[in-house]
Amino acid sequence: MGKTIKNTWFQTHLTDLLSYAGLLLCIVVFSILSKGKLWSAYNLGILVQQTCVYAILAMGAIFIYSMGYMDISLGAQLGVYCLLLILITNASGSLVLGFCSILAIAIVCGLINGYVSVKLGLPSIVTSIFLNAVFGGAQMLIMERLGTNSVSMTTKLKFFKQMPVMLAAIVIIAVISVFLYQFTQLGKHAKGIGANETATSISGVNTTKWKVLAYVFFGFCIAVGALFLTARTNSAGKGTGAGYAMDIMVSLLLGGMPLSGGMRSKISAALVGSFTYVILANGLILSGVNTTLIYIIKAIVFMAVILMTCRKPSGVLPR
Amino acid sequence: MAEILLEIKKMSKNFGPIVALKEVDLTVRRGEIHGLIGENGSGKSTITSIAAGMQPASSGEMFFKGQPWKPDSMVHAQAQGMSMILQEANTIPNCTVAENLFAGQEDRFSRFGFVNARKMNREADALLAKFGLKHIHGRDNINNYGFEDRKLVEIARAVTDETEILVVDETTTALSFEGREILYKLMHDMAAKGKAIIFISHDMDEILQQCTVLTVLRDGEIRGTLNREQMTAPGAVSEIRKLMVGRDIGDKFYRSDYDPSCSDEVVLSFEQVTTAQIKDFNLEIHAGEIVGLGGLSGCGMHEIGRLAFGVGDIDSGHVKLRGEDIKDSVDAVGKGIGYISKNRDLEAVILEAPIGVNIVQPSLRDLGKNVFIRPSEERKMTREQIDLLAIKCANGSQWVNTLSGGNKQKVSFAKWIAKGSSFIIMDCPTRGVDIGVKQAMYQLITDMKRESKAILMISEELAELIGMADRMIIMKDFQVAKEFTRSPELTEADIIEYMI
Repeated sequence: MGKTIKNTWFQTHLTDLLSYAGLLLCIVVFSILSKGKLWSAYNLGILVQQTCVYAILAMGAIFIYSMGYMDISLGAQLGVYCLLLILITNASGSLVLGFCSILAIAIVCGLINGYVSVKLGLPSIVTSIFLNAVFGGAQMLIMERLGTNSVSMTTKLKFFKQMPVMLAAIVIIAVISVFLYQFTQLGKHAKGIGANETATSISGVNTTKWKVLAYVFFGFCIAVGALFLTARTNSAGKGTGAGYAMDIMVSLLLGGMPLSGGMRSKISAALVGSFTYVILANGLILSGVNTTLIYIIKAIVFMAVILMTCRKPSGVLPR
Repeated sequence: MAEILLEIKKMSKNFGPIVALKEVDLTVRRGEIHGLIGENGSGKSTITSIAAGMQPASSGEMFFKGQPWKPDSMVHAQAQGMSMILQEANTIPNCTVAENLFAGQEDRFSRFGFVNARKMNREADALLAKFGLKHIHGRDNINNYGFEDRKLVEIARAVTDETEILVVDETTTALSFEGREILYKLMHDMAAKGKAIIFISHDMDEILQQCTVLTVLRDGEIRGTLNREQMTAPGAVSEIRKLMVGRDIGDKFYRSDYDPSCSDEVVLSFEQVTTAQIKDFNLEIHAGEIVGLGGLSGCGMHEIGRLAFGVGDIDSGHVKLRGEDIKDSVDAVGKGIGYISKNRDLEAVILEAPIGVNIVQPSLRDLGKNVFIRPSEERKMTREQIDLLAIKCANGSQWVNTLSGGNKQKVSFAKWIAKGSSFIIMDCPTRGVDIGVKQAMYQLITDMKRESKAILMISEELAELIGMADRMIIMKDFQVAKEFTRSPELTEADIIEYMI
């Protein structure tokens, strides 16, 4: 009682401030450590290429994380889509056909991912482990059949490698995401499910439907991400997509996304987070840090962010 | 006069710019059952939560057993003899009763790192028996017990031989008659042993029956302290109400008319509904009718409420709204049904969300017909409801978990008023709500009747059912035991015999 506290602006925006400060810190530190190489025209191109894929994937993932769910099948899905995109485009000569095919598969997978977990009453992490295994297996199988280590695009996707196109893609996906997230039932219900699924369902929200739709949008983002990743590397192989699921999770955390989802979720976490993450990863390499150490540094950053954002003091009252 | 056990001097508490307590002085003596009464947000729980170590005071001093008292945590306070039982559930799910009782003290039962579960269960049973809770067993999973039994387990956990002061914060709203009796007996036993109880409740009758001293609070200040004689004097109730609200609200805050008439139009009907426990249940609720459903807590009335909302498995029979079967909660809301759950913090509102988000949630499907939801419409809907229900808040973006209990409950009402539902199921709508808010809610329910809405009001408070319902259905063992029609002659005594 008497708890009619109005949180101060500082308190409510603490995680925002922390994530922006983190981005700023990364920029400053790595600008100095890399002796300005971070901002060379060449490296800027690389930064945009990397950010483009990460940001698109992260914005799709926001819808899943908002519901308090996680997805670890992202990397394996991405790998298979890249492979299929190349194979279908090479065989048919039509990029449109290739992209539409992977888009269709991605959306169907989204449906399965969402619907199966609801209908079987499984935690979504379980279905995503299942999908991860299926796609990982599919990737191996395709490579085995081809008998090569990697496949390449016969016609290069120059158009999707141009900086303005990549920036435009980020902006377009961001506009779509913000619209869906802020101004439609999809985003509002995703947050509601994350904050309190029971209360949301008692408010008459068809939680199954909105979960499935959130996964469908996520699938759409993975397909678009696969297109830009393929344009960047021009080839795909056994290792394509590996590590992306973790990278996206870390990016979102760096952007201030709460792991439990709910009302504090926001699209800006995907953008800020993926920028921070890309600058961190890229900056470490430019600063001459041994590549083998980079994984350990990423792990430490991951722990530090978790400790800062997710830890809660708790205790049990004894009798 | 008995020895002073707890003395609070000039205690103040601010939450940012909001003052919750203004230089409050309070003295609790041995052998007292010290009642605290006041509207939601008057500072009752703030005083006790500071004394029990949940939060620090902004200024002021406390003395406990003659020593300066500054508990750093509830654990610390409890070890020193100040225990507190809260309104909301506080047990650990998926553990046994014994594990809950002895959480943090497993060392007492372990050898070489293994906990001797049998020894722990045995001691748990002995302890529960001491509290007269023979029907609860230490080895059982806590999930097998209902809300009330879990509350009783909590009481057994909080009270030890070393407990000097027990704070009972609106706990009785969660308890049925039997549970309350157990708690009252415990309180009186402790008082007889020279310990003290601080008892917070919104139930005036209960306060008047149980307490030896009563302190009335309003707006963070003490407005009066009454001893036993003053409490039992004629006219004491209206005097206390006046102190609480600051104006004379009179004795009548229920509906003033005794006209039970309503339209012939059947809104909701139960037709031969049979579930695992309920057999051939029939009920018709008409437009403009308030149907009250009463009984003891395990009588099946809460289940009926859930079934009317399309939640729960039906073996045979039909639950229909205007002749159409209700499939699930999504369908129910679409057909114009609203449901205010008894479990407010878990089911009726999203605590971790702004007021506005909660209020518009059921209406989003209407606002979002053309995909795009206009933020201005959301804000308008929120503002209208905040004004209509006088929800005490800074604005619609304030989070629900920062509101007091009564205002949280107002938010759960606002959801369905905003949605325009034509049939509303209210499960214990005034639980943990003070009389000022109660009066406002009864007015609201009366207005809903006038607007030809159908209402199913489920309540453990008979006075409320008698005061509000057109037709009262008393349940016992999952069956209808008796039906009453609204009348000025009806008293609680007439009804109780059909409940037990």
